[in-house]
Amino acid sequence: MTTNDFYALSPLLAVGAAALAVMIGISVKRSMTATAGLTVAGLFVSFAMLFPAASIAPRIVTPLLVIDGYALFYMGLVLAGTLTVVLLSLEYLRDRGAHPEEYYILLLLAAFGSMTLVASRHFGSLFLGLEILSVSLYGLIAYVRGNEKGIEAGIKYLVLAAVSAAFLVFGMALVYTATGSLEFSRIGAGATPTDPLFLAGAAMIIVGMGFKLAVVPFHLWTPDVYEGAPAPVTAFIATVSKGAVFALLLRLAGPFHILDHPTLFTVFSVIAVGSIFAGNLLALSQGNIKRILAYSSIAHLGYLLVAFLAGGVKGATAATYYLSAYFVTTLGAFGVISLRSGRDREREYIHDYRGLAWRRPWLAGVFTAMLLSLAGIPLTAGFIGKFYAISAGVGSSLWFQVVSVAIGSAIGLFYYLRVISVMYAQPERHSGGRQAVARAISFGGGMILALLTLGLILLGVWPSPLIGLITRAVSGMN
Amino acid sequence: MNTPFVIASVVAVVSTLMVITRTNVVHALLYLIVSLLSVSLVFFLLGAPFIAALEIIIYAGAIMVLFVFVVMMLNLGPQSKTQERMWLIPEVWTGPAVLAVILLGELVYIFASTGGITTSGKTVPAGDVGFALFGPYLLGVELASMLLLAGIVGAYHLGRRGNDDEQKEER
Repeated sequence: MTTNDFYALSPLLAVGAAALAVMIGISVKRSMTATAGLTVAGLFVSFAMLFPAASIAPRIVTPLLVIDGYALFYMGLVLAGTLTVVLLSLEYLRDRGAHPEEYYILLLLAAFGSMTLVASRHFGSLFLGLEILSVSLYGLIAYVRGNEKGIEAGIKYLVLAAVSAAFLVFGMALVYTATGSLEFSRIGAGATPTDPLFLAGAAMIIVGMGFKLAVVPFHLWTPDVYEGAPAPVTAFIATVSKGAVFALLLRLAGPFHILDHPTLFTVFSVIAVGSIFAGNLLALSQGNIKRILAYSSIAHLGYLLVAFLAGGVKGATAATYYLSAYFVTTLGAFGVISLRSGRDREREYIHDYRGLAWRRPWLAGVFTAMLLSLAGIPLTAGFIGKFYAISAGVGSSLWFQVVSVAIGSAIGLFYYLRVISVMYAQPERHSGGRQAVARAISFGGGMILALLTLGLILLGVWPSPLIGLITRAVSGMN
Repeated sequence: MNTPFVIASVVAVVSTLMVITRTNVVHALLYLIVSLLSVSLVFFLLGAPFIAALEIIIYAGAIMVLFVFVVMMLNLGPQSKTQERMWLIPEVWTGPAVLAVILLGELVYIFASTGGITTSGKTVPAGDVGFALFGPYLLGVELASMLLLAGIVGAYHLGRRGNDDEQKEER
């Protein structure tokens, strides 16, 4: 390890050090404000360290990690997402009593695991990063101990994540047997895509990663975990956790010949189209907004996979842009839910939002913008994301998949508009008294939502700077 | 030199199948110990004696003994004596014992034979494992320590006795 290696790793080291500092801080004195402040500071330092690291990228640090522009871009995305989740959690945790401090250690560690994932070039770091992420999430999902649904969701996630990790490890072992290496680049050189051992290993790795991405047929846990987990944690699972695994999938596409091997290509096409239809159709009949967003996230991963299947720099750029837009949108949508949740329960049912536009026009406006972006309406980030995904798909003649995206978006529009129409309906008279006690949104929470909405519209009307950045990052990927 | 490997693998599969089909926790744990011992033997035969030793020391030793003790402590009470006597009937321990004797037989055979017992004909000494872990894979060791930290913090939070949380549960 040379000095330059440490420079390259500094974003990762900063987040790890922040987790340790928060832990030591808690053991000295329990203070929610100090803990949250330390966490935010750690994330900012780490973000600032991305720039010195970028000046010496790309650099391979030990056989395990590679710090290239691609990894640094996704690290930035992970850090920004985690920062938003931290800020959204402040009030949510203050309302839920006991011992909110450990939450921040777990959140920092989850970010640490995600950053390891996006920078890994070796099965060892892939597995360790994924497990750091999963183990932190077990604690985070079940964090509010008085909430039975949260505990149930935590146990469900624990059991399923453990099984999928077993698949992943077995797959790695088979690929190692077939190719004799655990490094992605050497797997790419040593792989013969027709080798049944290699294919079996690749299939098991797809199962393990498919679980994390919650794509059909590995999506069954999603609605329950989304519903049971605290709203800010759900936002983290939906964005950072999935985004990091997807970044890894993009990195694996080359070595595993996913795009030039007909069988693997077909498998991913089926997964993509299945996710689009299953996610959108199942979302239609839900009455719980967290479950609607869960099913919609399944569909969105399907759209992302279509961009992924397009391949090349164009496909990777489209997928990364789509993911960035999805980060902003989903964090905003879950932000509204977290900030609206009261002391007693989260406001997660559609009828909780009846007439919101009349009482809280700004909040309803933000939520409307987020839902329209998820639906892919012009002037929002979601539209540009979908546009790039479809144009990448058309460029690679993936007609069937592109038509599925179009049909899926049309179905999706229905349930997003249903939520919006409820918000703009007249409030019910008899429930007025109960609704009136709902707390006001704090200044900080309002600021985050305003920033996210601004980002949403900015990405929707002026995407070229981000597209340029992503194209540079993606074309440097090795 | 494949026969000992195949036998140990079969024992591992059979005992693991028995673990997941038993309805009594203690019976399952007995099979799980045998399963871990046979996996350890598989590691040894693949030429990784260090991992084989760790498998026994950590899993079959520390963790399993902890499991068995916890299960037994949960049964404290007047009826626990009769229950423990019930656990000692032959049909409970014959299965694991037979499998364990098979493994013991293999172990004796390995000691009796002279060299070249592993499937590949070579072994990886503990020193090489250490050099790999603290050489190229140093970051892996650090990542594993962060993984343990996440596990400990999560378990500490979820397992803590807290007043305000209990009030919420009573609600």
